[in-house]
Amino acid sequence: MRTRAVLGSVFGSIAVLIIGWQAGAAALTSNQSALSTGLSTSGTTTGSSTTGSSASGTPSPAATPSSGSTTASPKSSTTSKSYTGQSVNTQFGSVQVRISVTGGKLTDVTPLHLTDFGGRSVQISNYAVPILRKEVLSAQSSHVNSVGGATYTSEAYLSSLQSALDTAGITS
Amino acid sequence: MTPHVFTTMGTAASLTFGEHEPHASVLVEVERIFAEYDKRFSLYRPFSELSRIASAELAMMDASEELRDAYALALSWRESTRNAFNPHRPDGVIDLSGVVKALAMQAAADVLRRADLSNFCLNVGGDIVAGGESAEGLPWSVGIVDPFDRSGLLTSISLAPGREGCATSGSAERGDHIWRTAESSGEFVQATVVADDIVTADVLATAIISGGPGILDLVTARWPVDVMTVDLAGAIRMTPGMSAAMLADLR
Repeated sequence: MRTRAVLGSVFGSIAVLIIGWQAGAAALTSNQSALSTGLSTSGTTTGSSTTGSSASGTPSPAATPSSGSTTASPKSSTTSKSYTGQSVNTQFGSVQVRISVTGGKLTDVTPLHLTDFGGRSVQISNYAVPILRKEVLSAQSSHVNSVGGATYTSEAYLSSLQSALDTAGITS
Repeated sequence: MTPHVFTTMGTAASLTFGEHEPHASVLVEVERIFAEYDKRFSLYRPFSELSRIASAELAMMDASEELRDAYALALSWRESTRNAFNPHRPDGVIDLSGVVKALAMQAAADVLRRADLSNFCLNVGGDIVAGGESAEGLPWSVGIVDPFDRSGLLTSISLAPGREGCATSGSAERGDHIWRTAESSGEFVQATVVADDIVTADVLATAIISGGPGILDLVTARWPVDVMTVDLAGAIRMTPGMSAAMLADLR
């Protein structure tokens, strides 16, 4: 299938981009409110997890979840890791999220807690919570039917992923 | 399955079917719907009905029912989004492009269903309305473009049954129908909203870009929609439903 080939090459290049992005992000985030980049990594055994070390301090340097895992490719095993994000404020209170990664793939996203400004825990319903970009990238399908993005012009369409997809469809 | 590609409203549209190819007359009808909306509402056409209102040649009270209905719809969205979605340009011109494309997409989807084509995916300039499932018998899978590298994808999601609309707005979006509200910090560079219908998805994606984090919270609390945002630093946020749609697409 041409579709797979086209998108496969696109995805292949993303792994490279992640590294560049993270390098750039560390600088940027020092001025931003601490969002999803400030995550802490837990051990490599199944099910273990730690909570994000205090949402207070400096958001910048500890940003990337450590060394080795700069590529999104699956590691050998079924070991599972959990990452807990720093808490982020919404107009309704603060919220935190935990993600689980198994064999290099994102397997679960759990909103941890939401507290209102009185400090009480409240029911999680539908809040947008931070999620680690690297794990989002590693979660993508190898095969999409359509591409969503902010509106392109008819000229820009020709260089868009949607155009590649449509072309692949025509020639398959 | 061969997608049907055509240009309209200054962008490109692509229509894919999950089953048998439709009769050619259905495709003609779909294109006619877009042409009709464009002819009436485009501000790029000096003699469109909306352009004539902008130039004060035509009064709103004398406008067609279609135009007044679209304007009333846009105003009701302005109300419910606390002005984050606003059909009034800063220069006073009424610009309905924030609802018109989605209304045309909705009308096209209705035409397809009436023609007994319930499995389809229509992408117009990066916004999607989809029904049923793909030719593989799976939910439609939608890749979301990376706003920092538009030749790459951020992730992909599955459109669950009933989740027919998926719209993405960006701060660098073409055209000028997004104006930031005063309280917006301009923090989000891209917002994707999945909703039961494309009009809701499109309007709310625009509102989040225009209104910033405060409106994001309003949107996720008030409407049953799934949202993914990317901020200036590249950080991503997702609602639980959007995370689930992403996980459902792992295959």
